[in-house]
Amino acid sequence: MKITKKRLYLILGCVLVFYAVLTVAPAFAQDVTDAEYRTFPLIGSRTAAWIASQLHLLFGSFILGVPMFAVIIEFIGWKTKDERYDRMAQEFIKLCMGAFSTTALLGGVLVFILIWCYPKVMSKLSGIFGPTMIFYVFLFFGETFTLYLYSYGWDKMQGRHKGWHLFLGVLLNVFGTAIMFVSNAWLSYQTSPATQHGILSEMRKKSWMEERLAADPSLTPETVMEGVTDHTMIPLHNETTGEFMGTLWDAVNNFTWMPINIHRLVGNIAFGGSIVAAYAAFRFLVAKTKEDKAHYDWMGYTGNFIALCGLIPLPFLGYWLGREIYMFNNTMGINMMGSLFSWLFIIQAVMIGVLFIGANYYLWSGMGRIDGAEIYARYRPYMITVIVICVAIWMTPRTLSKISTASELSAMGGANHPHLGLFGLMTAKNTAVNIIILTTFLSFLFYRRSGKTPTASWGKVGNIAISSIFFFATVSIVVIGIVGFTVPTDLRVNTLTPYQVLIALAVMAVVTVVDIFMYRKATTSGTIKWGEMTDRSQYVLILIAITFTSLMGLMGYARSGLREAWHIFGVMQDTSVDAYTPLLSNAVNIVAIIMVVFFALVGFIFWLGLWGEKKKQASAATIEAAVTAEGDD
Amino acid sequence: MSRNTLIKIASLILMVVSFIAYIAGASAFPIASENLLPWSVWFLIAVIVNIVLWTSVMRLLTFSLAVIWFYAFVAGLVPESSTAVNLTELDWSDPDAVAEQGALVFNGKGQCAACHTVDTTAPPGRCPDLTDIGINAATRVPGMDAKAYLIESMYQPANYLVPGYGKIMPEVWKAPIALSKLEIEAVIAYLQSQGGEIDPTPFDEPIDRADVATAAAALPPLLTGDPELGKKVFVDAACISCHAVKGIESPAAGEVNEEDFEVVTAPDLSEIAAFNDMRYLEESILVPGAQIVSGYGAVTVRAKGTTFQGTLVSQDEEKIVVRTKTADGVEEEHTILLSELDDEPIEELTDLEAKGYLTLTITPADADTPVTGQLVSETDEVVTLKVGDEARTLSKTDVKSLMTVVTFDGDEIVGEYVSGTMDDDEIILIVDGSEEMFDTFDLEEATMTRAFGKRLLVTSPMPENFPIILSVADLTNLLSFLSTLTGATAEAVPEDTGDAPAE
Repeated sequence: MKITKKRLYLILGCVLVFYAVLTVAPAFAQDVTDAEYRTFPLIGSRTAAWIASQLHLLFGSFILGVPMFAVIIEFIGWKTKDERYDRMAQEFIKLCMGAFSTTALLGGVLVFILIWCYPKVMSKLSGIFGPTMIFYVFLFFGETFTLYLYSYGWDKMQGRHKGWHLFLGVLLNVFGTAIMFVSNAWLSYQTSPATQHGILSEMRKKSWMEERLAADPSLTPETVMEGVTDHTMIPLHNETTGEFMGTLWDAVNNFTWMPINIHRLVGNIAFGGSIVAAYAAFRFLVAKTKEDKAHYDWMGYTGNFIALCGLIPLPFLGYWLGREIYMFNNTMGINMMGSLFSWLFIIQAVMIGVLFIGANYYLWSGMGRIDGAEIYARYRPYMITVIVICVAIWMTPRTLSKISTASELSAMGGANHPHLGLFGLMTAKNTAVNIIILTTFLSFLFYRRSGKTPTASWGKVGNIAISSIFFFATVSIVVIGIVGFTVPTDLRVNTLTPYQVLIALAVMAVVTVVDIFMYRKATTSGTIKWGEMTDRSQYVLILIAITFTSLMGLMGYARSGLREAWHIFGVMQDTSVDAYTPLLSNAVNIVAIIMVVFFALVGFIFWLGLWGEKKKQASAATIEAAVTAEGDD
Repeated sequence: MSRNTLIKIASLILMVVSFIAYIAGASAFPIASENLLPWSVWFLIAVIVNIVLWTSVMRLLTFSLAVIWFYAFVAGLVPESSTAVNLTELDWSDPDAVAEQGALVFNGKGQCAACHTVDTTAPPGRCPDLTDIGINAATRVPGMDAKAYLIESMYQPANYLVPGYGKIMPEVWKAPIALSKLEIEAVIAYLQSQGGEIDPTPFDEPIDRADVATAAAALPPLLTGDPELGKKVFVDAACISCHAVKGIESPAAGEVNEEDFEVVTAPDLSEIAAFNDMRYLEESILVPGAQIVSGYGAVTVRAKGTTFQGTLVSQDEEKIVVRTKTADGVEEEHTILLSELDDEPIEELTDLEAKGYLTLTITPADADTPVTGQLVSETDEVVTLKVGDEARTLSKTDVKSLMTVVTFDGDEIVGEYVSGTMDDDEIILIVDGSEEMFDTFDLEEATMTRAFGKRLLVTSPMPENFPIILSVADLTNLLSFLSTLTGATAEAVPEDTGDAPAE
C-alpha cells in the first residue's frame, strides 16, 4: 500500500488520539459517586479551572468593555454627523460579536470543569446563590439578544431610528454590567464571605430560636427571642458546619463586591480599548493601502485613548479594593501587601510602568504626524525623566530582607536602604503614581493642542493659569507625600492620600474645561496626517495590550491566591491536593500559557472576521464586475 | 526550499520549543550529552534571529511571545515563599528536619513572617523579632519554660503580650490560618531552634478543637441592646468628648468644655467593630487599662532629672517616644532611651511588674555591691533579674535597704537601714560607716528604700468608672451601638506595607 501524505496524517492522527485516550483514561476511572474532588486529566483541576476562568474573564472583559465605548463613539458620530465614528463603532462591535460566542463557550467549559472537579464547592455556592444563577441566565439571554439586535440592526437602524439603536446599545451595556455584578458576587463572596456584623435575618433568627429550643426544652419562643432585635450581632456562618445563615443579600453585598464591580467596570474599558488598539496596530502593520493605514492609525489612536481614560483611575480603584480587603480581614490585607504577595505588587508596578511609559511614547510618536507639534518636543526629555523616576519609586520594594545577603543588610543598617528605602513606603508610591498620571495627562494635553493656535483673547492668561495649576498641584502632591512620612497611618490613608487623588482629578477636570474653551475656535496650522505613524509606535500598542492582559492574569492569581487554602475564606476549607497558593514563579508560567492561548484565540477570531470581510469584498467586486459587464453589453 | 527559509523555520521552531521548555521548567538544552545554556538564552537567541529574518506577521508574533516571556521571566526572579505544606508526620529522630518543616510553615501557611522577623537587622515588624526566641521564651513569663511559653503563644497569644506590642496575633489554630497540631509542633521546633534546644517531648493541645468549635456555634448572640439608645449613651456618658465617630459631632481635641474637662485625643471608633470582636469592646469599657491602643497610653517618666508626662507614642526594647504638650498647647515628641530613665527609689518590693518596673538595682544582704538587671519575673518572696546573659534570683526580704530620715529641722539623712520604724522609739542606721541612732520623737518622717528601679508605667487615660456610672442596660445598648461601627459608610485603614494595589 502506498503511503500517501493523507494516509500518513491519518495514521499520525490515530496515534495521537490513542495516546491521548491512554493518558486521560485514568481520570475517568475515578470514583464518580459522591466525591468531594475529582482530578482533571493531565494538568490537574486547579490549573484547568484557572485557565478556563482566566480566559473566560479576559474574553468577558473584552465583550463588556467594547460596547461601552462603542455606544459613546456611535453617539458622537450621530451628534457630529461624522460617519467615520459610526463606522468605527460598528467595527468595534463586529470584533465583539466574534468574541461573544467564545466567551460563552469558555463560560460553559468553566462550569463543566467546576462541576466535575469541585462538586461540593459548587453545591455550596449554588445553595447560597441559586436565585442569582437563575437571574444570571435571564440576563444572559437579554444580553445575547440585545447584542444581536444591536449588531445586525446597525445598518437598518440609521436615520430616524438611530436613537432607538443607541438605546439598544445602552440596554446591552446595562445587561452586560448586571451580568458582571452578579458573577462578581459569587467570586467576591469566596474571598470575603459576607459580613461578620450583619443584620439578623429572619431566617437566621428562626434557626437560632429552634437551636435554643432544642437545647433547652424549658424555654419558650418568647423567652428565647426576648431582647433580640434586628441589630443583634450574630455570625453569618456556623463555625462548625460552615453553614451560611444570612440572607442572599448578605452574601452578595460582601466587603469586596462593590470595589471589584467598579474596578472591573473601568478595567474592562481600558482592556477593551487596548485590545482594539492592538487589533488596529496589527491591521496597520499589514495594511497595503494608504487609506487602510490612515483608518487603522485613527482606530489605534482611539483605542489607546480609551485605554488611557480607563487606565488613569484604575490605581485609585485598586487602592479602594485593597482597603476593603484590609477591612474584611487585616491578616489577608497584610498577606497581600506585606507578605506572600508583596513582591507580586512590585511586578505589577513594572507592568503599570510599562503601560504608562508605552502610552506616553505612543502619544509623543503621534505628535510626529501633526504639523506644528514640534514646539512641544522640547518638554519630552523632562517628561520621560519624571515618569521614569516615578515608576522607579513605584517599583521600590518595601523591604530587601529576602534578596539581600547578611553583609548587605549589615552595610545598609537594616533591610531598608538608608535613603532609597523611603521610596518603598506607601506615601512615596502614592505621590509617584499621582505625578505619573498628571504627566500622562500633560502629554495628552500637548497632543490635543498640537497644530492648533488658540484665538481666545485670554489665551495667554489661560496658559499661565494652566501652568500654575500644574505647578501648584505637583508641589501640593509632593508636599502632602512628604508630610505623609511623618503622620500616623490612619491620617495618611484616610485624609492625605484622598487629598492627593482629589488634587490630581481636580487638575484634570479643571484643565480640560479651560483647555476646551481656549481651543474652541482655534486656528489649525497643520492637519493630522493619519497613517504616517512609525511601525515602532504600533508595536507599542501591542505591547500595551499584552501588558494589560498579563497584568489582569497576574492580579487574577493574586485575588484567588489570597484565599490560600480556602474555597470560601474562613468558611469552607480546601482539602484537595491544591490546598495552597502556588508560587509566583509557577503562577506566572500559567499566566504566560493563558496569554498565549488568549492571543491565539483572539488572533483566530480576528482572522475569521478578516476572512469574512475579504470574501464579502470579493463577492461584491464580482457582482460589481458582472453589473459593469452587463452595462457594457 | 531555500537555505534562508530553512533557517527561518528552524529559528521559529526553536523559539516555540524553547518557550514551552522554559515555561515547563525543563532542564537545560542538551547538546552532545552536555547541558548547555538555559532555555531562556535559547529563547532570546531565537527571538533575535526571528525579528531579524522575519517580517510582518511572524515578526509581530515573535514580539508578542517575547513580551509574554519577559514578564514570566522577571516575575520568576523575585523572592517567594510557598504556602504549600503537607505534613502527615514529624520525624522526631531528626529534630533539625522538623525545624526545617516548621520554617516552611512559619514562612508560608502560618503567615508568621507577615508580622514577625527573625533578623535583628530587619526593621521592626508589627510583632516582636524572634531572633533567639529559643532562649528568650524561657524568660518571658515567670514559672513558664520555653516550650510551654511557645505553646501558649501559638494557642492563646493574648495571654501574654510582649511590652510594646498590641493584641494583634490571631489564634493560628483557628480559621482562617487553621494550623494543624503537627504544623504547630513543627513551628515550635523551628522557634526553639532559634538559639535554643529543640525539645521533642509531645504535648497536649491546651484547647479542644471540637469542643471549642461546638461552643462557638452555640454561643448566644452577644448583644441584645438597642444601637440607637446606645448612641445616646455614647454622647451622654461623654465618650464623644474624646473618641470620634463619623457622623457624630464632637468637641475638638484640646478644647476645654463647660465642665473644665480637657478633651484629649482617643482612638477614632468609626470602624472599631470592623477590626475587633465584641469581647474586646466589652473589655475596653469594663477594664479600660487591660489593653491600651498603641500611641494612646498615658505615661509619666523621669529621665536625666526631667519629668515627661504625656502620651506614649511608641516603645521598643531600647527606647520610648513620649508626646507631651506645653501649656500653650504645643505638642513635642521626646525620644528617651530606656537606659536614660532615672532610677526611682522603691519602698516596697511588691507588684513590681504591675507598677511598670523595667530594671531593678538591689543589694543582697550578704553582698557589698548592688546587682542591677532587667526584671524578668517575681513572686511574693523572690525576684528574678536578667543580669547580662544570666538570670539571678534574689530574695525580696534579705536585702540591704536604705532609709531616709527627715528631722523637724529639715535635715535629711540617708543611711543603711539596721532597725526600727517610726512606730518604735528609735531608728538605727549606718551613716558614713558608723551606726547612728535616731529618736523618732525628733523625726518628721522616715522613708525606706529597698531597691532602685527604672519604671515605665503606661495607663489608660480613660476613666475606670463606667461600670459604676452606667447601668447594665446602658452598657449593652452602648455595646450594641459600637457593634454597628463597622465603617460601612467609612473606609478601612490599611497597614503601611507596599504599593497601591490594582487589579
